Amino acid sequence: MWEYQKTLEYPVNIKNPNPALAKVILAQLGGPDGEVGASTRYLNQRYTSPCREVQGILTDIGTEELAHAEMISAIIYQLTRNLTPKEIKESGFDSYFVDHTTGIYPSGANGVGFTVDYLQSTGDPIADMHEDLAAEQKARLSYDNILRLVDDPDVRDPIKFLREREIVHFQRFGEGLRMITDKLDSKNFYAYNPSFDIPQ
Amino acid sequence: MLSEKQKLLRRLQAARFGVIEANIYLDSHPTCRHGLKYFKEKKAELEELTAEYESKYGPITAMASNTTDHWEWVSTPFPWERGES
Repeated sequence: MWEYQKTLEYPVNIKNPNPALAKVILAQLGGPDGEVGASTRYLNQRYTSPCREVQGILTDIGTEELAHAEMISAIIYQLTRNLTPKEIKESGFDSYFVDHTTGIYPSGANGVGFTVDYLQSTGDPIADMHEDLAAEQKARLSYDNILRLVDDPDVRDPIKFLREREIVHFQRFGEGLRMITDKLDSKNFYAYNPSFDIPQ
Repeated sequence: MLSEKQKLLRRLQAARFGVIEANIYLDSHPTCRHGLKYFKEKKAELEELTAEYESKYGPITAMASNTTDHWEWVSTPFPWERGES
């Protein structure tokens, strides 16, 4: 179970609204490599993980990703304050606005709604750990691309924090993969699914 | 300019971050003495700062609501508002 804390993991305080930027940053909420997908992926994969250390990594990183989805949502919320119809039209935010006004909806930058097709939970912890390592790299490069497009220091600061977290999570998943492979039965040198198969 | 509340919140967020980072690190290094010591220090710091923050500015968790005449949890702002994190 979870308990909500009434603080962001890292501060988000944006002076200047910028709806065009909000649309770009949506990528990291409900896009293919966004925080909603990250959290959903890890929190679902953890049940069939073969060791407690990796169950812990998936639970705790999955939980931290929820806090990251909240930070991204706060960025979008603050970037879309006090907009006029003219600003909405000229910024290209109109295509989002017509369906969602300034509500926070988990879609990507291109307007496609979040879908679990972006992620897997295979029941095979070796495959899952490899997916998670890739997921952290893809999220990191999305943040790199956002940083290439953003000048506002109020937005860059929390985005840089989130980018760094992807790198730390990548480290932890690498260690998780090593722990799982270290514990494989010596007969299982082809690395069959250690959560399902019993090698003969 | 940061308000007094934000200054305290920054210290609390920093301690909280130390706890989060140590937690995830210890998941894959469960016998690291240095990590365990760091976790313990950050946890003590966080508990102290949480008590100070909640006594001045209200509950961080609903569980910490501590008033008899109104439900304190919904009387303080949520953190996605500008100036509240």
